[in-house]
This record gives sequence, C-alpha cells and structure tokens, in this order.
Amino acid sequence: MSANAKILIVDDDPDIVESMKVILESKNYQVSVAKTGEEGLRKVRGEAPDLVILDVMLETGDKGFDVAREIKWDPQYKHLPILMLTAIKEKTGLDFMKEAGDEQWLPVDDYCDKPLHPGELVSKVEALLNKR
Amino acid sequence: MTSFKQLEGLCERLYWLIRLRWIAAASVFLTVLLTGHIFKFSLPAFDLYAASTALGVYNLVFFVLLKSIKGKESFVIVNRIANSQISLDLLSLAVLIHFSGGIENPFLFYFIFHMIIASVLLSKRASFLQATFAVLLFSIMVSLEYFAVLPHYCLKKFIIHDQQHNLTYISGVSFVFISTLYIAVYMATSISGRLKQREKVLGEANLQLEEKDRIKSEYVLRVTHGIKEHLSAIQGCLEPVSGGITGELNAKQFDLVQRAVRRTAKLMSFVKALLQITRIKLSKEMKMEYFSLRDSCLEAINDTSAKAKAKFISVNFTMEPGIGPIRAAREYIQETLTDLLVNSIKYTPPRGKIDVGLRNRGSVILIEIADTGIGIPKNELPRIFEEFYRASNAQVAERDGTGLGLSIAKRVVEMHSGRIWIESEEGKGTKLNIELPK
Repeated sequence: MSANAKILIVDDDPDIVESMKVILESKNYQVSVAKTGEEGLRKVRGEAPDLVILDVMLETGDKGFDVAREIKWDPQYKHLPILMLTAIKEKTGLDFMKEAGDEQWLPVDDYCDKPLHPGELVSKVEALLNKR
Repeated sequence: MTSFKQLEGLCERLYWLIRLRWIAAASVFLTVLLTGHIFKFSLPAFDLYAASTALGVYNLVFFVLLKSIKGKESFVIVNRIANSQISLDLLSLAVLIHFSGGIENPFLFYFIFHMIIASVLLSKRASFLQATFAVLLFSIMVSLEYFAVLPHYCLKKFIIHDQQHNLTYISGVSFVFISTLYIAVYMATSISGRLKQREKVLGEANLQLEEKDRIKSEYVLRVTHGIKEHLSAIQGCLEPVSGGITGELNAKQFDLVQRAVRRTAKLMSFVKALLQITRIKLSKEMKMEYFSLRDSCLEAINDTSAKAKAKFISVNFTMEPGIGPIRAAREYIQETLTDLLVNSIKYTPPRGKIDVGLRNRGSVILIEIADTGIGIPKNELPRIFEEFYRASNAQVAERDGTGLGLSIAKRVVEMHSGRIWIESEEGKGTKLNIELPK
C-alpha cells in the first residue's frame, strides 16, 4: 500500500529537504517539494499527495500551523495525513496533537523533532500511510 | 515590586516582635515568681501576673490576625497592626512599671527597647509619636502616684524607695528618661532610615540585574537556536550517508563519517541542554498539574533501563506510605528525574547499584537518588550546581558532558520552591536529594 506513495515535503530549508528526500526515495516513495506554505497548499490540491510532511517554521515562526489547519478544514483533504516537523515537545513539554478540543490541539497526525533520524522518519511515514 | 518586598519585610519583623513578646511575657511571669518567693519582695503579684497574661493574650490575637490576613494584606493594614502592637506594648510596660516601683523602678529604661523597635518598624513620624505616647503614659503614671490617686508600690530592699512625692527626684528622672527616649528614637530612626534607603537602592539594582540577565538569556536563546538549525541540517545530511542509504561506504569513509556523526550528536546534546536551561530561565510560569511522583520515578527508571542494563547496574525503587499526588510541572520533573538518573548511571562503575526513593517528610516529599558511583571530591561539592562546571573526576571518567545537567535540575527544583542538595564521598558514591513541597 505504502510503496510508491506520493509524499509532499513543505519546508524552506533546502538541506533538510534534500536529506529527507534521499531517505524517502530510498524507500521508493515519490517525493515532491514545496518551499512555502502557499506553494504547499497549491501542490496539495494539484498533486493529491498521500502524505504531507510539514515544517512548523515556514515563512513565519508558526506558519506551518496555518497550513495544517487549512488542509484539515477542507472536507476533501481532512483525511490527508500530516507529519509535522517541530521541536514543540522539547520547547513546551506539550503533547499537542492528542485530542480535539484540547487547548493545545493542532490538526496534525503526528510530529517529529528535527534532526530527523532516518529510521524514525521512515517508521512514522509508514505508520501514517498504513493508517489511511 | 519594591513595596511588596517592604511589606514582606514588615510582616517578617512583626513575627519577630511576636516571638520576642512571648519571651517577654514568660520572663515577667518568672521574674514575679522568683522575686516573690525567693527575695520576698512585697509586689502585687496578682496584678503583675494579670499584666503578663494580658501581654500573652494580645500577642496571640496579633499572631492570629497576622496569619489570617496573609496573602490579602495591604501595607496600610499591616502598618496599623504594627502601630497598635507597639502602643499596646508601651501600655503594658507602663502598667508593669507602675506595679513594680513606678518612678523608682530602673526597668523604666526598658522603654528604650520599644523605641528602637518602633524606629525599625515604623516611619520616623510614627516613631516620634510613639515616643510621645510613652512620655504621656509615664507622666500620667508619675502624676497619679504623686497625687496619690494610684497607690505606689515599692521595691524595698532592692533600690531606693518612697520617692514618689520627691519632686526633685521626679524631675531629674523624668528629664533623663524623656530625653533618652527622644534621643534613642532620633538615632534609631536615622540608622534605620538609611538602611531602608539602601535596601531600596539595592532592590532597584537587583531588578536591573535581573533585566540584564533576561536580555542575556534571550541573546543566548537566539544564538543557540541558530546553531541548532544548522546542526540539524548537518545531522540530517550525515545520517543517510552513515546509514548506507546513499550507497556502501568503504571502511575509511565509514570511519570518518561515523566520527562526524558522533561529534555532531555531542554538539547537539550540548546545544539542546543550553536551550533547555535558557528556556527555563526565561519562563515566567510553568504549567502545573497534579500527578504521581511514583509514576514519574518509575517512568524515569524505565526510560534509562537500557543504559543501566548495559553496565549491569541494578536500579531499585522504594516509596514510603502516605505520598499522594504532587502539584508540579510534570514534564519538567519527569525530564529532570530522567536526566539525573542518566547522570548516576554514567558515573557509576559496572555492577553498581542505584537506589531511587520517595520519602514522606511532612509538608514536603523527598526524592533520593543514591548511587555507588565515583562520587564528587569534597572541595568541588560547592561548585557542582554551577553552569558548565564538571567535577575533575567526572571529566576523567567521561570526556564528554555538558556540565549543565545539575544546573538545569536546580533551576527546575527552585522554580517549584523546592531544595536540591548533594551528599557525596569520592570513590564511594553520591546521594542526590530533592525536596518538593506537596
């Protein structure tokens, strides 16, 4: 199911993007990249990816949250899994994606701290794709 | 901020005054008992006992009053309490003096102590008013005894007596007494005024320092963040190479890449520790919740069990009864416990032992982490909580270490109004103690 799945990476750090691309392509995923939130949203609608890896810090400190919300509010994409790249747990100690209705709830399916370990990234991606 | 500190200081001094008053009441009681039974002075024991009992009773009232307004106190109210305490003290002393010799009683000069206390606690104006009140009480007592409206009690055998109608004596003593009171108040208020002024200046300087420290921390946070971002990218690029994702490496390539991976990982853990302590320094409040410390300890033990097993170190947990949930910042405490346990494992030789214990100590819970590790040299113990400080034997045992672990723990514990301290003997082991309020 998950092989050849399309993954969209939305991140403005070209080096991080490249390292993730190498890891994911080694597992035969099709990877496409967006550098800004706008571009990310456009590509979600245009390319219909199976999963989005979204950096929390895009143009502004937390633009990633806005992008995630916009995706999840759209009925057509509300089931599109989002893996957020963030160090939020380290920063605040909050487990923010647990339950809707929580003050800290954010519309993502899982998150991953930078730096990414290849094993962790792959296992999270696989888990999210299998859950669909 | 400053006025809050002033208020706090005043309350503290009022409690001190209350403690003194207990001693005073007891002393009067004992003195009357002794003089009556041993020296056989003919003192009106009943009146004196009554006066010292009254002293105790109003002391209790003030104690309860001060306790009950805790938290919602305003400077005006506490100041009023201070003023009334001192006035009542003057009245009590006047009554005691009257019943034990009046103008002949050398204890008359105990009024000076009250003047000094007033000067410390009250404003200059209020202190002079209290001095005038003391003079008024004294004059009333002397006059009423002079005109025989009140009886005169003598301290026969002890000092000169029957001077209550001797105008020369009365004028002399009055002059010395009254001038002494005013001079005492003048001197004490001048000194205490200067001290209060200096306290204020120091308070302001301290605030400025705190502000500068905050600016410094924000700077460190920004710089460290920048470093971490680049470091993340370096690690991100190195990992697929060292993991063979980009193709097989030859032995030399693999070795060099592994070295780079290890060094970036060490730098990353240093950067993360620095970010952590800086964030704690900058955070004004933490999210507090109720949770079980037992669960946190067990989770920390569980999280570190692989490291302990690798060195054949046994980790035991014990807990005293009666320890319920604690209100604290769960994540911070959890992380601190894990970090401290990792530290203990790191500096404990293979086949050692670590005991984690929770002790019930009344209003606080004591967390103990005792290991059979390399210990800390005695002369280095005072510096062990300093940022970036590493004990000399720790540096030999482990080349890498941030020197931030214990300072982070200290910050976290102190933000909970707790206490952290270390007992250690070099070569035998270390016991880390953390006290957290329940």
